[in-house]
Amino acid sequence: MAWWQILLLTLYAGYEILDELQIYSSLNTPVGAGLIAGLVMGDLKTGLFIGAGMQLMVLGVGTFGGASKIDATTGTVLATAFSTSVRGMSPQTAISSIAVPVAAIMVELDVLARFANTYFSHRIDHLIDQDKINYKAVERNVLYGAIPWALSRAIPVFIALAFGQGLVQTIANALNGQLSWLGTGLTLAGATLPAVGFAILLRNLPVKKHIAYLILGFTLTTLFSVLFTNVQTLGVGVAAINKTFVGGFNGLSMLAMALIGLALAILHYKNLPASKPAAETATSQKVSSVDDGGEITDDEL
Amino acid sequence: MTNSKPNYKLTDDDFRQINRRSLFGYQLGWNYERMQNSGYLYTILPQLRKIYGDDTPELKQMMKTHMQFFNTSNFFNTIVTGIDLAIEENEGVEGKDAVESIKVGLMGPFAAIGDSIFASLIPAIFGALAASMAHDGSPVGVLIWIAASLLICVFRWKQLRFAYKQGTSLVTDMRDQMNAITDSATVLGVFMVGALVATMINIKFSWVPKIGSVTMNIQNNLDMILPKLLPALVVGFVYWLLGKKKMTSTKAILIVIVLCVICGGLGIISKA
Repeated sequence: MAWWQILLLTLYAGYEILDELQIYSSLNTPVGAGLIAGLVMGDLKTGLFIGAGMQLMVLGVGTFGGASKIDATTGTVLATAFSTSVRGMSPQTAISSIAVPVAAIMVELDVLARFANTYFSHRIDHLIDQDKINYKAVERNVLYGAIPWALSRAIPVFIALAFGQGLVQTIANALNGQLSWLGTGLTLAGATLPAVGFAILLRNLPVKKHIAYLILGFTLTTLFSVLFTNVQTLGVGVAAINKTFVGGFNGLSMLAMALIGLALAILHYKNLPASKPAAETATSQKVSSVDDGGEITDDEL
Repeated sequence: MTNSKPNYKLTDDDFRQINRRSLFGYQLGWNYERMQNSGYLYTILPQLRKIYGDDTPELKQMMKTHMQFFNTSNFFNTIVTGIDLAIEENEGVEGKDAVESIKVGLMGPFAAIGDSIFASLIPAIFGALAASMAHDGSPVGVLIWIAASLLICVFRWKQLRFAYKQGTSLVTDMRDQMNAITDSATVLGVFMVGALVATMINIKFSWVPKIGSVTMNIQNNLDMILPKLLPALVVGFVYWLLGKKKMTSTKAILIVIVLCVICGGLGIISKA
């Protein structure tokens, strides 16, 4: 790794958590981290692959009431950096042997940052008790909170990137050598971990109520993906034999599947039986008053 | 100030300033003791100074009030701010009790709505889309998510003025609307989980037992029943696991890794 790659990834790690606290641009998410880290390391595909795996793993993990959650974003940064710079470290192995442990350890540092900010809150209390309040200082002490947040991510990433490569190379060699059974297992784990994300999400969603949509989503996609895969295999085979045979063989488009889901959601919304909002929209259209609730609907979708 | 009722009216500049501070500074001071207290004060401090005047006892009292515990969704915080400022602008310090009870009363419901929609549902839907495209090496899904995030920022920007105008009547009106949207969005969420289980968990049985001279390809037989049965079973297993007492998501992840190392090492299951 070049020094500027370490620098950029450290800066990104510091920025990433602030993004999550502020505008939540989605560059703070694992898949966004995969994009950035992939670009920095010059291997976009690996970065996106690791980001995707980690994103799916934490799909159902929300931040409720300021609870610390597993830090898959930082895990993705380190896993991408090492997977692209260490020989013999496959993306799947990087997910389960680097990204997941890092993500779990980082929870502790998140807690530390939140503790540290209590100090600034107390300083503001003191400032308010003064006879003449220094307003600029009050505001500064709020913004200082960004420092513990950013450092809690940037420092560990810097240390790991600057000093960790030798260690990770040793691990990679072992996983490809005498510990190859462990390497195979970790690769499998990397491919299986999204299942945890889906299960957590299903625990949070009202699955029993909407079970029909779950079955529909699964079965439709299964059939399509089998069909598309077989057509692809067939097409590649035919193209190999017959050089004049030209055709595009793209895989299943998940955006198309998402649009089917969106259509079902819209139908569901319109069919909500005698629900208040539907009735309100109907009446408000007659009276032609400004439907304030509707404005929010538009911004959401 | 001799008159206890303030006579300052918020201007467009004030709204812009509050929104800027809300988008970029609101959560920076988050701490375990009182959570978003300092961020709440920070977003409205310039307006409080205009309403009460610098270094007045009223201002000091209200600053202390706003330094009390507060925590809500950062996607809805300016709704509370808007209602709060509408009261303070009219009532001044006399509205302190109303402000306190509104803050305490609203932070819970908005935290619940905001977290379930913006911290859970939207990341689930857009994250699923971005991840499934990124899995194939395309960053387009991430860009779609960024575009959606910008729209959400617009939504956050607009809600302050809306809340300020509507005052408290807003809260009851919006809850029904939000519930209907949330319910419909969960339909999309559940559908997408089903779709993702079928595409993103690429594992298969690699165990080919020999019974006498007949080799049995388990995966082939399973494919005849239902392709992707193994991924569905794994998700079902983890779902069941999460229902156990004292089970956390981190523990579940570690259990899955250990089981995969065992099954992968023995060659029963492999990556597809």
